[in-house]
Amino acid sequence: MSNEKTTREVLAEKLASEERTPLYNPEALEKVKTEFDRWKGTVVREKDRENWDVTPQTILGSEIPRGLIYTPLDNADLDYEKDLGFSGEAPFARGLHANMYRGRTFTMRQLSAAGSPEEVNSRLKMLLDRGATGTNLALDLATVQMFDSDEPEALGQVGTVGVPVDCVEDMETIYKDIPIDKISASIVTHYPRNTSIVFPMYLVMAERRGISWDKLPGSSQNDFIMENVVRSASEYIPPRDDFRVQCDNIEFLRKYVPKWNYVTLNGYNLREWGTSGITAMAVAMANGIEILKDMERRGHDVDWAGERIAFFWSPANDFFEEVARLRAARRLWYRIMKYRFGAKKPRSMLLRCHVQTSGVSLQREEPMTNVIRSAYHALAAALGGAQSLHIDGYDEAYSVPSDEACVLSLRNQQIIEAETQTLQVVDPLAGSFFVEAMTNEVENRILDEIDEIEKMGGLVEAVVSGWLHRKAAEYIQREQQMIADGTIKVVARNYFRDPDLKMPEIWSQEYDEKLGKAMIDKLARLRMRRDNIKAGNAINALVGACKSEDNVMAACVECARADVTEGEMRRAFTDGFGKWNSPIFV
Amino acid sequence: MTNKKVRVLLAQFPLETHSRGIITVAGMLRDAGMEVILMGNALSEQIVETAVQESVDVIGISTYCGGELAQGRKLLEIAEKKGIKERTAFLMGGIFPPTDIPKLQGMGFDGTFLSATKEEIVDCIENAVVAKG
Repeated sequence: MSNEKTTREVLAEKLASEERTPLYNPEALEKVKTEFDRWKGTVVREKDRENWDVTPQTILGSEIPRGLIYTPLDNADLDYEKDLGFSGEAPFARGLHANMYRGRTFTMRQLSAAGSPEEVNSRLKMLLDRGATGTNLALDLATVQMFDSDEPEALGQVGTVGVPVDCVEDMETIYKDIPIDKISASIVTHYPRNTSIVFPMYLVMAERRGISWDKLPGSSQNDFIMENVVRSASEYIPPRDDFRVQCDNIEFLRKYVPKWNYVTLNGYNLREWGTSGITAMAVAMANGIEILKDMERRGHDVDWAGERIAFFWSPANDFFEEVARLRAARRLWYRIMKYRFGAKKPRSMLLRCHVQTSGVSLQREEPMTNVIRSAYHALAAALGGAQSLHIDGYDEAYSVPSDEACVLSLRNQQIIEAETQTLQVVDPLAGSFFVEAMTNEVENRILDEIDEIEKMGGLVEAVVSGWLHRKAAEYIQREQQMIADGTIKVVARNYFRDPDLKMPEIWSQEYDEKLGKAMIDKLARLRMRRDNIKAGNAINALVGACKSEDNVMAACVECARADVTEGEMRRAFTDGFGKWNSPIFV
Repeated sequence: MTNKKVRVLLAQFPLETHSRGIITVAGMLRDAGMEVILMGNALSEQIVETAVQESVDVIGISTYCGGELAQGRKLLEIAEKKGIKERTAFLMGGIFPPTDIPKLQGMGFDGTFLSATKEEIVDCIENAVVAKG
């Protein structure tokens, strides 16, 4: 470790030097303390006094202890302006925009998956017709793992869990007749390498439609934690190289596709794989910190680089903690940007997030109960001030969502918006003694974990050493044990399980042999039709970019223009960088 | 059964992205006293090769994203060709259509799980290992 200060040290120093104006006067607090002690000592039963703090046990929980009751004593030094402020202003605990959902409700962005490019084009248009306000594209397994539909690894899996994209032509089919310069698109590329490969196909599609890149709104994930830690795969490139690819993509997109959110730091999948919400946020922010350090090293201004970083969170069961987490994360990111990086523009200090309700929290037993679980998860996201929301299908444990489950999830969002009246008032849980205490606690715990990562040499090092892999594997196995022994109660599964439980008939995606064959034939035609010398040169240039310091995404755009396929680009990356073994497998 | 520890190879088909399930099952089986080799993603050829090298009693496949029929069939064909099909127990777990279960059993999978407790998986392995001699 260098003698560079850690984020926690920088923040502690800066915050200590600020003058604070406590909201509560000391005399009033003293009185509350006296009365609290009296009440606790005489009115509260001895048993409740002894068990004052309980540790909540739930799926994907963080085990932050809870007291029986919260009072001003739990927020004794609250400085309204410094700690909360107003919505649309620092420190953004209360929300990113002054009018929040009165101005614009969260984007209802349901992930849309499965089938051929033609079928997915129809589904995207169907969801837009029913009121969805953005598109969200899930890629099939081969595409996510960067294989072509005709490689042996893809046998029997083309078009499962998402849409296959092998080349620019597929992008043209998927977005046909959708105004991509007006409706924002989320393209779930997950990994840096996959972003380098698939996103240029979107850019070249736009180019062929005559839409200039600076008009394209949307986002891609581009997160090396997804590629090297969360993902299971037969082939990895070394984490340090993948981190570089992530930063190359950011630099390229920032320059040439200015309305595109070039990185979505993905706490969601990490948490769903197996960490607490605290670790998920700490890792995502640690990645953000390393990205900004790298951008500084490349000579870019932090406000230029930081402006379009987005985050992706998973709200699960622990309702108030979930709300507190979203509030805490916004405040902490603001503090990191302002104090650690000296950002000047308010926009680059904003933690904007897409939220997807937790899938791992959903159950196979009595699957309609999942509609109820997801509604609580989604309400927590709305009360926490999320910008964009996907609600999981109730059939999560059975299949990718059916059309019926997709529409029901969208209805769930619309009920929150139009019927519950919860969106009228900004940050309605602010000022709750409990929620404010949780917000502080969560912020501290995230910062503690960022500190731990920085002290081991940064996030790339925490991945290379296997620390993060081991942490998740232990979490997963411990959680399973706690469900098995009933410590974690799951309704209908281990708590009030129906003795005559029958598994319902739920549609599960079956493999469409015809789709696989159609994709394979299309690739064969493409390889006949294209200029293979031009394609070969573009591939060689990509290998060269990996081995030098040239921007890899720029090289991938040339590949897409030459109709190079996804698998061909993947192999160029491994030729350029070599392979790495994940520490999770032996 | 003898006192020899049951040896289990856990793997996924090459494109599988999910590993929560396989890590969970690895923990359960180690807990039950079995020796577990957590291989991760691999082609059927590589899975069988490792099974031979490690002389395992059981091959368990975790799958969430399709391919269970095509890839499962290929795995068993290669196992048969290499002469380990008869003496090895084959299990598959994860998410796939329930209608595939009879097809997988027909191919020769000894256990198929869409969800299961530790006890159910351990029982299935112990019975299959005994049956396979």
